[in-house]
Amino acid sequence: MPLDAIPIVVINAAAKQSGDEAGLSGNAPVLLREIAELARRLLASGESSAIDLRALPLTPADLDWLRETLGQGQVAATLEAEGESTLSETVCPGVWWVTHRNETGAVVSEFIEVTYFPELLKAHPDDVQTGLEHLDLLISDLS
Amino acid sequence: MQGSLIDTLARQGITRRAFMKYCATLASMMALPPAAGRAMAEAMAAAPAATRRPSVIWLPFQECTGCTESITRSHSPTLEGLIFDAISLDYQETLMAAAGHQAEEALHAAMKANEGKYLLIVDGSIPLGLDGAYSCIAGKSNLETLKEVAKGAAAIVAMGSCAAYGGIPKANPNPTGAVSVSDIIKDKPIINIPGCPPIPVVMTGVLAHFLTFGSLPEMDAKGRPKAFYGETIHDRCYRRPFYDQGKFAKTFDDEGARNGWCLFELGCKGPVTYNACATVKWNGGTSWPVESGHGCLGCSEPDFWDAGGFYKALSMPADPLKIASAAAVAGAAAGVAISFANRGKKSAAKSAHETTTLADLEK
Repeated sequence: MPLDAIPIVVINAAAKQSGDEAGLSGNAPVLLREIAELARRLLASGESSAIDLRALPLTPADLDWLRETLGQGQVAATLEAEGESTLSETVCPGVWWVTHRNETGAVVSEFIEVTYFPELLKAHPDDVQTGLEHLDLLISDLS
Repeated sequence: MQGSLIDTLARQGITRRAFMKYCATLASMMALPPAAGRAMAEAMAAAPAATRRPSVIWLPFQECTGCTESITRSHSPTLEGLIFDAISLDYQETLMAAAGHQAEEALHAAMKANEGKYLLIVDGSIPLGLDGAYSCIAGKSNLETLKEVAKGAAAIVAMGSCAAYGGIPKANPNPTGAVSVSDIIKDKPIINIPGCPPIPVVMTGVLAHFLTFGSLPEMDAKGRPKAFYGETIHDRCYRRPFYDQGKFAKTFDDEGARNGWCLFELGCKGPVTYNACATVKWNGGTSWPVESGHGCLGCSEPDFWDAGGFYKALSMPADPLKIASAAAVAGAAAGVAISFANRGKKSAAKSAHETTTLADLEK
C-alpha cells in the first residue's frame, strides 16, 4: 500500500490549503542557485552533474515546491527496469528531474541531473552489439 | 560465475539500464556523490570473471535470527538477491538444507577448499561465561568455533549489533559474559555492520564492494563502513529543519507530533547514532522509525540498550545510574517513595484516560 493511501492528513497538505507554508523548511530555494551553477558548468566545460535529492534535508513540501517551480519541459522519458523510472526535462533545458521507483512504486532515489542528455537513456555499445546480433537473426529468418 | 557480473545479470533478465539504475540508487544510499553510481556500475559490470563464486561462511552465535530475517526478507526478488547469487553461501544454519553432521561437513569442506579466501559472516555475540557453555553448536562452544573458522578467513563481517559490539546479550548485567567478534579476533580484517537488525542494503553494499574490489570498504573508528555510517541519523533526517527552528514534539500526541516536528525531546538518539536509516529507510523504502513518529533508539551504536532510557532526551544525563550512584544510598528511601508516587500517578492517569506524558513512559 502506498504511503499516501493511508487517510491521515499530513501537515504539508493542510498547510498548502490554508496558504500557510509550515511544510517548507526553506532549504529548497537555495537549490536553484546550485542548479544554476551546475548549468553554467555544463555550458563552460560540457561536464554533467547531478544533485542527490535524497541526500538533502528536504521535506515533502520542499520537493513539491521545487518540482513545481522548475516546471515540466518538453521531453519526458519512462524507463521500465525493475520498477518505473521517469526522466523529464524541466522548463530549463538541460535540467532533468530523475525519479527511480521500485517494483512496488515507491521512490528509491531522486536526482536533479544537469546534462545535455541523461546517461541512462543512451544505449551502451555492448547492448547495441547484442541488438545487432538479434537484427541479423531476424534478417536470416526472412530468407 | 562465468563472464562479468553484467553478463550474469543479463542471463537472469536484468538489463544494463536496470543495473545502472540500481547502482545510482546504491550510491545514493551509500551517501556517495551521484557520479559514484556510474563509476560503480562500470567497475562492477566489468568485474573480472571469477572461475569460482567467492565462498561465504555464515556463523550464528548468541542471536535472534533477526539479522538473517532482515537480509533474506529484503523485498525479493531484487538485484540485491541476485548479487547474493554471485556468492556461494556454503554454511548458513537457517538457510541451508543440510543439518547435523552433514552441515558440519559442509562447513569443514568449504573451509578446506577456500582456505584463506572465504568471507566469514558472524551474527550474534560470543558468550565467555562458564567456559562458553551458554551457546554451543555441534558440541563446540561458540568461542572455539569462531577461532577455528576465523583462522582461514580472508575477512570477517560482524553482522548486527551483537556480533559488532555485544548487543542485547551484552546488556547489563550481561549474564553470559557476551563479547563481540573484535574482542576475540585480532589478526583479521573485521568490518562491523551494526544495527538491530542492520539494513539489508548495507550488507549488499559491503558485499558488492568485496566482489568489485576484493577488499572491505573504508571504515570509521568503530569499524563500520563509512559509506553507510558516515553521518548521523540527525544530519540526514528530514525532520532536521524543525530541530534547527526549535520546533519539538513534547508528547507523542501533541500538536508538534501531528505536525511532524523534531522528536529530540522524546528521546530520539538520532544526533549520536551513525546509520543510514534516514536515507535508505526500511521495508523497501517504505518508511523508517522517525517517519512513523518514533525517535531513533540508537541501535547501531555500542551498548545502546544501556544508554539510559529510550525516551530520555539526549540533553538529560545519559547514564543516570552512574551519576546518581553517590547519592543513591542517601536517596534510596526517597527514591522508593517517589517511584511509588509515580506508579500511583500513572495508574490514576490510566483510569482517567489522560494523555500519556513523557514522564509516564520513563517509569
